[in-house]
Amino acid sequence: MASSRLQVSARQLSRTFKGKGRFEIGIASELPKAYKKFWREWKVLKPAAVHFIPQEGKWKRDELTGQTLPIQNIPIPLKYPQEINLGIWGGEAVVKGFQKRDPKSRRVPHYWVPVLKRTVVKSEVLNTHLSVTVTDRTIKLIHDHYGFDHYLLKTPACDLVSMLALKLKRQILIELSNGCPRYAHNPEKQKEILDEYKTYLSSYTPDEIEWYGLSWFEALQKIAKQKEAANKPIPLKNIYRKNLLEKLKAEGIEEGNKSADEIS
Amino acid sequence: MKSRHFVYDLIQDTSSLPQPNLSIILKEFVPGYGSKGDTLTLRSNEAYKKFLVPGLAVYATPENVKKYETYKITTTEPEHSSLYSERTVSRLSQMVLEITMNKTQPWKLEPWHVRTSFRKSGFIVPEYAIEMPPMEIKGPDLSLQEKEFYVTVTVNNKEKVNVRCRIHHWATGLERLPWKEFHWKLPAEPLIPEQAEVLEQIPLPK
Repeated sequence: MASSRLQVSARQLSRTFKGKGRFEIGIASELPKAYKKFWREWKVLKPAAVHFIPQEGKWKRDELTGQTLPIQNIPIPLKYPQEINLGIWGGEAVVKGFQKRDPKSRRVPHYWVPVLKRTVVKSEVLNTHLSVTVTDRTIKLIHDHYGFDHYLLKTPACDLVSMLALKLKRQILIELSNGCPRYAHNPEKQKEILDEYKTYLSSYTPDEIEWYGLSWFEALQKIAKQKEAANKPIPLKNIYRKNLLEKLKAEGIEEGNKSADEIS
Repeated sequence: MKSRHFVYDLIQDTSSLPQPNLSIILKEFVPGYGSKGDTLTLRSNEAYKKFLVPGLAVYATPENVKKYETYKITTTEPEHSSLYSERTVSRLSQMVLEITMNKTQPWKLEPWHVRTSFRKSGFIVPEYAIEMPPMEIKGPDLSLQEKEFYVTVTVNNKEKVNVRCRIHHWATGLERLPWKEFHWKLPAEPLIPEQAEVLEQIPLPK
């Protein structure tokens, strides 16, 4: 059999084979470290436990039998509808599963959807009020952090989830790094706000702020545009014209002068 | 994983939990609540909607507590005599005080007449707080019926407010003047020419 000639089995090969990651394919391999850091904060880090009560410790004992059991804090799989990006849900999302409403009856499919409210939030740094869709948890988090800006700046991207919150955070960071130009009319207030929020700026470099809060496609577009701007082709006509002028300079300037004299 | 692995049980509905109270510090005087630098503890929803979003207050963080403590020490005299004085003044300035006087017996308008009229419309005003118009008003005189003047009331010996007054001649039986619908909404001529300018600025009730 031909297959018997192989030194390793297909299964072994598949174990050792490591597929290319997201950041190793095509133009994505040129994405800067700053964006990778944001991506890690957004998609790799584990979000806070919102839909289950995490248990502490590593082991627990069954009260009845005395059996030792491992504690597994497995997060409930969540559904992220499109609408999540239009509001700030504070880490809440839709849970899809089943309910056992009665021990004798069959389980029933059920969606647990967070209670959404529309309210006004105030951003000190941006000096605006925003009408956004929120949950009770969001408002509680805003109170716990003593303000909307503090909440956005202190919370990692994996807990903010929504694109709206990330974009606002990006805008706030840009605003702070520029020294709050929106408060230019009131230098006293400007200084007060910069003092209050400057601690957050220390954890970002200017490059990281530039790449913060961009979705995957936005980041790819940005790097593609940068690449295009760097390797802008020079039209050949410009090169030929330059060459011609050089040649003329080398021998023809006198001629040109002569012809000018002749005309006069 | 099969469907039976995704059967969930609701342990706690966090949306129905009682709202905790929230401590805030007022940035300015708010009638009915407190003056600048006061710490209030309110239901979080009320504190958020009424004070934090409009920018009337800030969260009572340790830094803010320190910042507003120094303010409370430096300020000496309060701007308002009480938390509710502004409301009282606004109510008084919007009203039309109907002073009911006798149509048959002769009289002279005195502060106790005004005090009684105030009491009839729900305001307890002591006589020393009422400043009468400069002219002496005597009756019965039916030409006073369509005219108005103002008295000045001092609230808590501090805030002064002009109250629009009109005299109504009262009698029983056939003597009684006919009822006029919404007479308090209708404009009237000033009784004292010097008061005309002030009366024009006081808004009529709607």
